[in-house]
Amino acid sequence: MKLVVAVIKPFKLDDVKEKLKGIGVNGMTLTEVQGFGRQRGHTEVYRGAEYEIDFVPKLRIEVLVDDTEANAVVDAIVESAGTGKIGDGKVWVLPVETAVRVRTGERGPEAV
Amino acid sequence: MLEAVTNIPYPSWLNTGDNAWQLTAATLVGLMSLPGIAVLYGGLMQRKWVVNTMLMAFSGFALVVLVWVLWGYNMAFGPLAHLGADGSFWSNFVGHPHPIVSHFGEQNQAVSGANTLIPWHYPTSTLAYFQLVFAAITPLLFLGSLLSRFKFKAWLLFVPLWITFVYCINAALLWGGGFFAQKGAVDYSGGYVIHLAAGVTGFVGAAIIGPRLARDKNHALPSNLMMVAVGSGILWLGWNGFNGGDPFYAGVSAASAVLNTNIATAAALMTWVAFDMLFTREHKPTFLGAINGMIVGLVSITPGAGWVDGYGALIIGVVASGIVWVAWNYLSKVKPFSKVDDALGVVYTHGIAGLLGGLAVGLLADPGMIEYGVAGKTYDAAGSFSVGGYFYTGSMHQLWEQFLAASWIIIYTGIASAIIFYIVKFVCRGLREKDEVLEVGDLAIHDEEAYPRETFAERVTSLSRG
Repeated sequence: MKLVVAVIKPFKLDDVKEKLKGIGVNGMTLTEVQGFGRQRGHTEVYRGAEYEIDFVPKLRIEVLVDDTEANAVVDAIVESAGTGKIGDGKVWVLPVETAVRVRTGERGPEAV
Repeated sequence: MLEAVTNIPYPSWLNTGDNAWQLTAATLVGLMSLPGIAVLYGGLMQRKWVVNTMLMAFSGFALVVLVWVLWGYNMAFGPLAHLGADGSFWSNFVGHPHPIVSHFGEQNQAVSGANTLIPWHYPTSTLAYFQLVFAAITPLLFLGSLLSRFKFKAWLLFVPLWITFVYCINAALLWGGGFFAQKGAVDYSGGYVIHLAAGVTGFVGAAIIGPRLARDKNHALPSNLMMVAVGSGILWLGWNGFNGGDPFYAGVSAASAVLNTNIATAAALMTWVAFDMLFTREHKPTFLGAINGMIVGLVSITPGAGWVDGYGALIIGVVASGIVWVAWNYLSKVKPFSKVDDALGVVYTHGIAGLLGGLAVGLLADPGMIEYGVAGKTYDAAGSFSVGGYFYTGSMHQLWEQFLAASWIIIYTGIASAIIFYIVKFVCRGLREKDEVLEVGDLAIHDEEAYPRETFAERVTSLSRG
């Protein structure tokens, strides 16, 4: 089992969800995060005082998959989340030791 | 023949229109404090200080209510105490501390040292309530300079002392028939007594208490701009009670003061927006800039709302906003302003704006704007009360009196406030919360936070609390 983690631009979520549904992935976990890589932040001004904000709002998507599906999921995310501009994000894959479905107690690949 | 029974449920001196408007105007002003200032300031502060800010606003207001009815009202507006030779300053600067809460005190006809010519047509309760909400908003204004480090207990002690020894005296001198009023200085609704005094006290307090934590200053983003909008809207429209109630009659002066208030405010708001778009590096209009402009307009028209005409109000709004915009953006970088951490910039938006508005009366007051006539004659006949500024009379007299009164307010308020701060510092063993407390904010002082997340909290059932 693998955990595919992707950090993407928030407005690309709908495209990524549709694409993943299309290849048969029906579950994911979403977190709102702040991040930066090569994308520059911005300045906000409140009552004349300037504040630099390095971080940019992003979404973190996590999908648990079977070993054989990991690459397809990564490709799907990369295709649907990209805009060609700096700040599109990154995808990475982690190995998962154990996974359990809470409702039924199934362990291993059946839980994915 | 049936006799008609006429039942007049109030005394003959009572005018229901005056009474109704005065009570309404007072309530509008009260709303400006609660929730107006509470949520305006709460929304401007970062999240960790919202509760502390709002509780200081509510508790400050409540303390003033008590001080006012137990001794403050009579100190400011009661018969003046003869503490020196007749006619000298010492017999014309304060009244006797005395409660007004007896049945007679609350229900008899309102009188005041200021108003010897014309009686007022409502009871003391009405007038005392009206003056109370003005007294009560003043500490809430200078609270804005002191937020996010002023020790809460010190606040609770400071407010009653400041009202007693600063506000009541300034009010008696300018409104209660006192020394400066007799010399002809005027302050329609409190540009000097309230706003200039608040600006000075906030600045002095910020200097004595010391700055916010560097970390707080570096992360001073507003927690809720929509709440700022709510508070600001209440402030603007509530101010119609502030200036509309200060002629003390529901007559033409009230109406013109209300209109002038809105003219000056609108002009000031747009001026600040225009300056942001023209003269800042980003060239962008900002909501908080607009609110600053709005406040400057409201404050600067306050000393003269019923004595300038609409053109005067327009000029005051534009000029005050422009000058305070420059002060906010440039004077703030120069000593001593750069050395004092006035958290919400009260010295600019209330102090400087109030000073400018008060001096503007000496220039722009139009003698054709009648405040009230004398009883028995037509209201604009000879003997009616109005104020003439330099551009109408050619005389510098009014401007000079305005300047003297401003000098008193600045010097006396500054010194007396400083003394009170040091007394409170001694009694409370310090004016600042401890650094460990400042790091945390609301949770450390109140065990409450502004936006608790119920998912992450669990009720604790213990023997001491059900």
